[in-house]
Amino acid sequence: MPGMIDTIKNAFKIPDLRRKLLLTLGLLVVFRIGCAVPVPGIDIAAFSRLVDSLGNIGNLFDAISGGALRQVSIFSMSITPYINASIIMQLLTVVIPSLERLQKEGEEGRKKIMQYVRYATIVLGLLEAGALWYGARSAQSGVLPEFLNAIVVIFSFTAGTTFIMWLGEQINEFGIGNGISLMIFAGIVSRGPAGANALIAYFQNWTLSYNVLVAVALILLVVLAFVAIIGGVIFVQLAERRITVQYAKRVVGRKMYGGQSTYLPIKVNMAGVIPIIFAMSIMTLPATIISFFFTSSTNPFIIWLKAATSQSVGYYVIYALMIFGFTFFYSMIQFNPVEVSNNLQKNGGFIPGYRPGRPTAEYISRVSNRLTWFNGIFLALVTLLPVVLGGVTKASGLWFGGTAVLILVGVAIDLVNQLESQMLMRHYKGFLD
Amino acid sequence: MTRPGRPSLHERRLHPHVLFDVSSLAPQVAAVRREEPRCAALPDAAIAAGFAALGARVRAGESEEELAVPAFALVREAARRAIGQRPFDGQVLAGLLLRQQRIIEMQTGEGKTLAAVLPASLAATAGRGVHVLTFNDYLARRDALWMGPVYARLGLRAAWIQEGSTPAERRDAYAADVTYLTAKEAGFDLLRDSLAMEEGDRVHRPFHFALVDEADSLLIDEARIPLVMAGEEAPGTHDARFWDGVAAALAPGEDFDTDEYRRNVFLTEAGVSKAEALSGTNHLYETRSLPSLVALQNALHARTLLARDVDYIVRGGRIELIDAQTGRVAERRRWPYGLQEAIEAKEDVAPSRRGRILAQTTLQGFFGRYPRLAGMTGTAVPSSEELFEFYGRDVAVVPTEKPCIREDLPDLLFTHREAKETLVLRAISDAHAAGRPVLVGTASVEASEALAARLLERGVACRTLNARNDAEEARIVAEAGAPGAVTVSTNMAGRGTDIRLGGSDEARRDDVVRVGGLLVLGMQRHDSRRIDDQLRGRAGRQGDPGATRFYLGLDDDLFVRFRLSGLLPQGVDLHRRDGPVEDPVVLREAARVQRIVEGQDFDARRMLSRYTTVVERQWLHLSEYRERVLRREEPPRLFREALPERHAATVAQWGARAVDEAERRALLRCLDRGWSDFLESVAYLRDSIHLMDLVGKDPLLEFNRTAAEGFSELQRDIRAAVVEVLATARIGPDGIDLGSAGLAAPASTWTYLVRDEHDGTGIADGLGSLAQAVAAPLWTVAAILKYLGKGKKGGKGGSGR
Repeated sequence: MPGMIDTIKNAFKIPDLRRKLLLTLGLLVVFRIGCAVPVPGIDIAAFSRLVDSLGNIGNLFDAISGGALRQVSIFSMSITPYINASIIMQLLTVVIPSLERLQKEGEEGRKKIMQYVRYATIVLGLLEAGALWYGARSAQSGVLPEFLNAIVVIFSFTAGTTFIMWLGEQINEFGIGNGISLMIFAGIVSRGPAGANALIAYFQNWTLSYNVLVAVALILLVVLAFVAIIGGVIFVQLAERRITVQYAKRVVGRKMYGGQSTYLPIKVNMAGVIPIIFAMSIMTLPATIISFFFTSSTNPFIIWLKAATSQSVGYYVIYALMIFGFTFFYSMIQFNPVEVSNNLQKNGGFIPGYRPGRPTAEYISRVSNRLTWFNGIFLALVTLLPVVLGGVTKASGLWFGGTAVLILVGVAIDLVNQLESQMLMRHYKGFLD
Repeated sequence: MTRPGRPSLHERRLHPHVLFDVSSLAPQVAAVRREEPRCAALPDAAIAAGFAALGARVRAGESEEELAVPAFALVREAARRAIGQRPFDGQVLAGLLLRQQRIIEMQTGEGKTLAAVLPASLAATAGRGVHVLTFNDYLARRDALWMGPVYARLGLRAAWIQEGSTPAERRDAYAADVTYLTAKEAGFDLLRDSLAMEEGDRVHRPFHFALVDEADSLLIDEARIPLVMAGEEAPGTHDARFWDGVAAALAPGEDFDTDEYRRNVFLTEAGVSKAEALSGTNHLYETRSLPSLVALQNALHARTLLARDVDYIVRGGRIELIDAQTGRVAERRRWPYGLQEAIEAKEDVAPSRRGRILAQTTLQGFFGRYPRLAGMTGTAVPSSEELFEFYGRDVAVVPTEKPCIREDLPDLLFTHREAKETLVLRAISDAHAAGRPVLVGTASVEASEALAARLLERGVACRTLNARNDAEEARIVAEAGAPGAVTVSTNMAGRGTDIRLGGSDEARRDDVVRVGGLLVLGMQRHDSRRIDDQLRGRAGRQGDPGATRFYLGLDDDLFVRFRLSGLLPQGVDLHRRDGPVEDPVVLREAARVQRIVEGQDFDARRMLSRYTTVVERQWLHLSEYRERVLRREEPPRLFREALPERHAATVAQWGARAVDEAERRALLRCLDRGWSDFLESVAYLRDSIHLMDLVGKDPLLEFNRTAAEGFSELQRDIRAAVVEVLATARIGPDGIDLGSAGLAAPASTWTYLVRDEHDGTGIADGLGSLAQAVAAPLWTVAAILKYLGKGKKGGKGGSGR
């Protein structure tokens, strides 16, 4: 962390970089202002209740949109359609040969694909805005007839997303870092003060219901847990196992400059945040369905389900197992030891002591499996700790859980790396001093 | 002057960095023309005097732009008197554009050589040297001799440099006002200068202005091969011949395999066992066996990926490399890292000494040393974007003096080599019988000789032009336009080859014109459209008639390497047939292969450029310091600071001057040695850095970070090395004995062919966990499909070949 602050400080000393940083900040401010501009025709309070009824998933989407969702801002859909469009286009390049060829044609082809992604974003934006409007019909307000209102809402949402896409591209081109990540980063961070406020409110509550000492202890517990989670997340996010690799193209020279010899890095958290998100979605599904359709049902099964999906030990155990399972699944599809081994072999590299081909792949697979075990346990802890803590302290909904932290950390590391690489290009002291 | 066809809006949008409309310079061209009568009246002496006066005004601070008109008018007159050629308005226009540091596109035969004299003379008036960088040695000498009298009339001196020029000749040539030489020579002189031990040993003056001929080739195609200076080193311990024997016993496909683009060769599991058994090595893939493994790898590479008479020829008991761009033998060039020895073992010639890299730069880094840079070529527009990205130069199109009436016939595509050859042979003999000269462009020495043999079988007299008979080049080219002449060539007859219709004296020009002029036949597509266009450009010079046609085969190397068959839609009928394929889909996809290759090459060059930026800067930084040490501007202090007692004793014995000198020499050598080690380490790092992709790190960033850390470490090491040398080496009245410290100067130097080709493992998404969070279901589907897709492809690659 201190290294990161130094990096940013140093970056501000270089005029060129300072300009880029200021421009980025300026565009982020524009983005934040937009988050507060409401879409006409929807009642904010009623819509906010709808978001609440979605539970954790609603919270996550609200966090990713930087609070714009609850505000029914023009940026409510955030950049989701764009990301969906990029992924769809990636998929299509695998499936459609002419797109694959276009991508291979280098710069010109890639520009064309980018253009397709933009069009697809608008189409998807219209679709998603339509769905959003449909879901929020009950929260409609205003004087327009319904179909006109629908048009206003749908077009406002879509225009908002298109504008964010443009902002993001401006940051990519003239600023620093990945514009889209940064905007989401800014959104999540902007909820910090609200989190602090909530904490203060809880402190006051606890002081009233217990006494000051207990309140202080509880606050300390929450803060400590929070710091531990962030620290742990950073640690695991950066952690990698390094397997020494040698290349048969040339004999190593007298000395390797710049640290350790060549290595094959294997990331501990190969699965990313997706196991958490999937587990969360599945685990909150029953509760969401109940709250939508069976709020006042007296069916014993529903009542049992209601109890089972809130605070029971069994629920958390299943939750943890699910995260664990998804971690293995996603690690498997993300990291293919055979492919890595083949890649290594084709480039003339090898792991000393292991023959290329099957023995190497088996070794890599063994190492990565062990890491995945650790990672599964870790992800389960990161997700469940805030929930359990919320249960113990009765302070639910405190700021955010592990997912948001993982995203934040990822973006921050990216940004610092980019700054560093920019500075490497221009910063030299005297020689032999 | 004919107006070129107005470029379409589409063309303008496609090439944002091209100046299609150069009419804004028309007033200046007209002004030069108005000056003509006045200049024509001047006596010879007044021309030189007038030009010298312009030089004085430039030195006094007047801008060259304002002086361009009077200067160009004088050059025009000087050229008319000296060589009897008056630069056309088009050439004056080209000169003005070159002066503005643009890359100009000018058709073959429009007189680029003379056009370059205009800005070169103007830039040289102020006494700072101008370099005209030519495509090859032959052109350097020819152009300097040809244009020399023009410069002489202006009171300037032109000189040229050849590969064999001595340092004294070079120094003298660089001292001239205008120097004609190849970029490679200039670049290697820069590298050699960077290792000089005395100021006076260097040959270059400070760089000023470079005019690059065949600019697209030098600035783009060759930018991929770094200039590398290597010095001798003790021979390696392993036995190249032994490992060549092992490699020879391995079976392709079974024991070893190549990657899809045939750039790497690797052993299979069966091959590893076999190689271990054959060589008696227990474990090849252990750290201690690395030298053996490298030797085996090199032997396999030499046997599998490099072919005699394609990549090199064997002549006079030596391996001579063929430059892929020019088709000529590249003197004093070798393969690096033991590959040279492996080839020598394969071809059973005497082994040469091993080398280590002493200094290195890319052509792009080298061109960056010139404060002013301009270029000219017949094919610049297709690469304008790249020229702008790498060099910040716009392309300008100079309209042709005479309209080009050359006929570019549509490609003929065949299903297999035999069908293609049959029709090519028929086309050649028909043209030959009709008295039409034919130039055939082939891919390699081997292919050119094979085709020539088949022509002779059919009774068609022909000559081959390739690296093997480069001595006869001028004579063969001179007669290539004679009636009925058939010339089978490699890339050698591409750029810079001027084929006059009717033979060298154009005696039977009319006969040739009557039958349609020169016929150029290409036997395959090259890696870029520009190279094809250059071959085409041999026909139809200066409004001559001529025709071109490319004969392609589905089994052409380019199509096989980039898997044209994979691009074709299902159901296309591709069974062997004797006639050409006429399916428009196949023809379109064949053209697309070339665009894919161009795109990938562009990306590879961009990668190379990104990976070299930091190291180039570090070199510059080190060179600046070295320069100060060399000029004795950096006060010696390491000796006194680190070894005060020995320093005092030595000073007492030999005097302060001798001791300072000893330290200076030790420091210079240690700097060079350290940099050489550093380069080696960086090269090794570059091999493995693509692995960073696996953890979502940016390999480039990691590379730069490691190089930056390494650079600090290097400085500590150099300091320590200097101190150690000073502590141990014998210092006497003759200075310091660096040989005893293992720092003797390299006995000879040569250049390396290093291809910087690395493929990454994939494209980092940039959004990472964000995409997962926002679009979890879709992302999952994508990941699974990718996973399955890779499995499928892997399976295919493993079974069939």
